Amino acid sequence: MIRFDNLSKSFITNQEEVKALDQITFNIEKNESFGIIGESGAGKSTLLRMINGLETPSSGQVIVDDKDLTQLSEKELNRHRSKVGMIFQHYNLLNNKTVEDNIQLPLDIHSHEQALTVDEVLDFVGLLDKKTAYPSQLSGGQKQRVGIARALITKPKILLCDEPTSALDLSTTHDIVQVLDKVNREFDMTVVSVTHELDVIKRLCSRSALLQDGQLLHMIEVKNQQEEKGYDSYHARALEVLQS
Amino acid sequence: MREQLLLYLERLQEFFPAILESMSETGIMMFFSILAAILLGLPLGTLLFLTAKDKPRENKLVYTIANTFVNIVRAFPFLLLVVAMQPFIREIYGRATGDPIAASFPMMLIAIALYARFVEQSLLEIPTGVLELAQSMGASTRQLIVKFLYVEARSSLIIGFTTALVSFVSYSTIMGVVGGGGIGDFAIRYGYQRYELDIMYTAIIIIIILVELTQWIGLRLARKLDHR
Repeated sequence: MIRFDNLSKSFITNQEEVKALDQITFNIEKNESFGIIGESGAGKSTLLRMINGLETPSSGQVIVDDKDLTQLSEKELNRHRSKVGMIFQHYNLLNNKTVEDNIQLPLDIHSHEQALTVDEVLDFVGLLDKKTAYPSQLSGGQKQRVGIARALITKPKILLCDEPTSALDLSTTHDIVQVLDKVNREFDMTVVSVTHELDVIKRLCSRSALLQDGQLLHMIEVKNQQEEKGYDSYHARALEVLQS
Repeated sequence: MREQLLLYLERLQEFFPAILESMSETGIMMFFSILAAILLGLPLGTLLFLTAKDKPRENKLVYTIANTFVNIVRAFPFLLLVVAMQPFIREIYGRATGDPIAASFPMMLIAIALYARFVEQSLLEIPTGVLELAQSMGASTRQLIVKFLYVEARSSLIIGFTTALVSFVSYSTIMGVVGGGGIGDFAIRYGYQRYELDIMYTAIIIIIILVELTQWIGLRLARKLDHR
């Protein structure tokens, strides 16, 4: 499904070459839920952004669905990007559009044959009642749910999650992880998540790449922890964590 | 007091057609400036934003040309710009002075440069996440501008436009000096040369009210459209 082949990426900063990614080679299988972990600056996000062509390699190849992304024209690349869903650490919602219009946006940019409806995806993330609200009226967790709904509406084959829970508190992180887990189970989707939060990977992913200084240090078979104990409230969680 | 008031009203009645004519001449200049600001200033400001370093359509040559143009026009003391442009205006329009349309040419040039800079500033305020989002959805440059940038910057674009508009009124008064008519011409003829101060102050008050009104409408509209 996704293949990195001897992939390297370097930047020039202050006339010094920095290797963000160094000869990365591995595959991500179809419908797999894959994690990319590492400390900040390890190159996780750069690697993730290779999959939808937001970053271009300095050398090597990125092959998605048998297509070599480095060979695509600008137009073909845009079409490819539209078929890959993405959610962001800071949600990247348009503040001047309602929840409904934000979710509708990918369909305004490109046509998608198998698209879902706004109501379907809002129902999926449990935010039907916020359809006409503006992002400024939502909490962080709600904003990320809108971000997920927006990524799902095109029914993409691949979903990229760039630090999806890093801006959220613990109990909201738990909620969002549940939603993403549900995405992975109910849709035919390859989900690739970048995060430094190991708990999130443990819940979501079956395999994970560990990066350090741009190099693939380890490929880890994640011993999945299916159902973490859920908490009804922050209050309950605080008591459990602090008193036990 | 009563007599003075009556006298004033009488004079006002006498001079009011002249005030109105000056205002309509200024109106013509404003109309062309607004047209230029929207049709050319907005695209130019957008071009400045998009072609700058690390922006989606980075292009050093285009950026340098656009930026230099804006800087030169803005750096020109306006009266000198007006005088410097005379030969070109005569070439294009047939006459360089004497009517408000001829006077509109330098106004249009300054309107383009001034609003382009405001537009660039407004677009720079948009969080980079919005650009990232547009790119990740595979948006074309056109879609990026219309469906993302202008949506998120619209309030700021309106406020910038209102500010530019108020400056255009100031610039228009200079045109009176070279026979372009308008309220600047009115102030010189009635206030400076004939010393009809009451009439001049009346004209000033009318202008202040119009400027305040413009600003109020602009701010209200901007606030209404802002959901950030």
